[in-house]
Order: sequence, then C-alpha cells, then structure tokens
Amino acid sequence: MLMPKKVKYRKQQRGRMRGKAWRGGELAFGDYGLKVMEPGWITDRQIEASRVAMTRFVKRGGKIWIRLFPDKPVTKKPAETRMGKGKGAPDHWVAVVRPGRILFEMEGVSVTDAQEAMRLASHKLPLRTKFVARIGAGAH
Amino acid sequence: MTSQEIVQAELREDSSRGKNEARRLRASGRVPAVVYGAKKASAAISVDPKQITRILHSASGHNTIFDLELGSEKTKVMIVDWQYEPLKGKLLHIDMKRIAMDEKIRVSVPVHLTGEATGVKQQGGILDQVMREVEIECLPGDIPSSIDADISHLAFGQVLRVADLPHGGSLKFITDENQAVAHVTSVKEEVVATPDAAAAEATAAPAEPEVIKKGKQETTEETAEAKK
Repeated sequence: MLMPKKVKYRKQQRGRMRGKAWRGGELAFGDYGLKVMEPGWITDRQIEASRVAMTRFVKRGGKIWIRLFPDKPVTKKPAETRMGKGKGAPDHWVAVVRPGRILFEMEGVSVTDAQEAMRLASHKLPLRTKFVARIGAGAH
Repeated sequence: MTSQEIVQAELREDSSRGKNEARRLRASGRVPAVVYGAKKASAAISVDPKQITRILHSASGHNTIFDLELGSEKTKVMIVDWQYEPLKGKLLHIDMKRIAMDEKIRVSVPVHLTGEATGVKQQGGILDQVMREVEIECLPGDIPSSIDADISHLAFGQVLRVADLPHGGSLKFITDENQAVAHVTSVKEEVVATPDAAAAEATAAPAEPEVIKKGKQETTEETAEAKK
C-alpha cells in the first residue's frame, strides 16, 4: 500500500477541497489517462485496487503511471469508544484530488484496451471519472 | 509552417482588464490573449477561440505561423503558450509572439515515431516514448510540422536518442543529443499474491511512517499526559 516514508506530523486536519486541479490535469507520460471529475479523497487501498485491476487486464501489454500519492493521514477512533479523549490513531492514507486531475496514465496498448482497463480501474474509485487520450494517440 | 488563416483580434482597453472582465469576455464567446515580441510593446487582445483551436489542432500545431489582424495592422505571429480549463477543456488564455521571418527562433517540434520496433514485434517488449517534443533552432519558414523517426530497427533494450533523429541542414537541435526519445522496455507481469503472502506483506509493512523530529517529543508528551 502506498504511504509516505517520513512525515512531519502524524495527524492532519481534514481541510477543504475547493476549486479545480490547475496542475496535474494534462497527460504527461502516456497516451491515455483517467481524469477525475469531482473532488474527493482516494484511499491507498482504492489506488492499489485500481492499479491491480489495470495491470491484470493489460497483463504484459502496457505501461502504467500512477499520478497521485496518498500523503494525507486519516485517523479513526476505536470501536465503541466514547467521544472525547483526543483525536484517534492514524488509520489509513488518502490522496486529495480536485476535479480535472489525471489519476492514471497508460501507454503501449490499443485505445479499446486502455478504455477497458480504465473502466475497470474507475469501478474501484469513489469518484466520477472520464477517459482521456492524447491527440493522435493510438498510432502504435 | 505558415498558414493562410487570418485571426481577427480586438484590443482590450485598460478598463476591460482583470478577472471579472476576462470572465465576461469568455461568456461572450471570445477568449483573452496577449501578443508580444519583435521589440514592440505587448498588447492585451481578445480572439476567437474556434480559430485558435483550429490552428492548435492543425498538422503544424502550435508552431503554425499565421496573420494576426489588429485594427489596420497585420503581423505574423505564433502561439507560444495556451491554457485550458481542466474539466471542459475550453481555451482560457493564449500567448502569441510576433515573428520576424528573417530571425532564427527556438521552437518545440513534435517527434513522430514511424514503423513498428522489432523489440515490440518479435521480442515482446513495449515501446515507451519518453520525449514527445524536441527543441530546435531555425528560421520561422523552415519549422517542420514534425520530426519523423523510423524505429523499425529498435530492438529490445535499445534506446533511440536525440542524436539518432534525422538532422536536417538548417535545423539546429537545442535539446541534449544524449537524451532518450524512445526505448523498448518490458513490464513485469502482476503476480497474483496468495493469501499467506499477502498476510506476510501486511505484517512486514510498517504501520506508520517515521515522524521527523517531532516524533520523540510527541511520544514523551503523550506518555506524560497518560500518566496524568
């Protein structure tokens, strides 16, 4: 599961997700990508599930890039605990995404295969997504 | 590459600048732009986004040299920067540069790979294009629409570098000659983890990352609080 090696603080506040992804919204590596259309948190497990779904579908055919990293800790209180007594313990990690962000990129496969792989990946995610392709992609 | 397209521009007055005016302009169907270069003062203008999109999607792309008609003045310009809205993909703003046809300029030209690499066809590798544009220096009239490189000889593990691209007479490559353009590589197949292996991995992975500086102090504070 993806998580940072070192952090400055163990716990974080939730924060707000305003605006659009003005960075990381264009294809940088591959010919095809998956763009998120709404803001939200994507957990480390969801990223891993998407990655596994894509790599199993394309097998040895294509190369995949993951364009998001879960660097925000989410805490959770133990079950059946009364409120108060401080913030809970870190439970998992999430990536904060804003609409327009490219989540995954792919290269070395046909358009139809890339679309199917991205469709499978999108089913593991809690947010609405869109398949995007570079202009003139699919020549190889 | 020059185009016959004539883009009609309107000057934006000082009073019609800023975020709000730019939004109103976009709502009216035009897009804010700026034109500069050729040792002349820059001018804030507005253009038709459809014309600019047509130029950007043409064969020569952003390297197309076209006429910009601003009032009675007609100048040769080129698109140097453009911004898209991340969700709908609409054009937000365009930067244009005046071009002197007798002066050499630096431009980024797309690299097109032709043919199928032997490493992909026979050896089961996948082609990874690392560099999609190279920077060249040439006269505006000599800008190629793309640089085509034949990769049919590229075997598994081989790298196509900038030096291997076809070097024309008037083109001077600015990008480092040793930089990789494309290579044939392999991708490891996903091994389906058995439940035992997955459990072992889960126990081996650290539960929490190391905390820089703060960690030790925090733990001592927490223990002190717990004692209270």
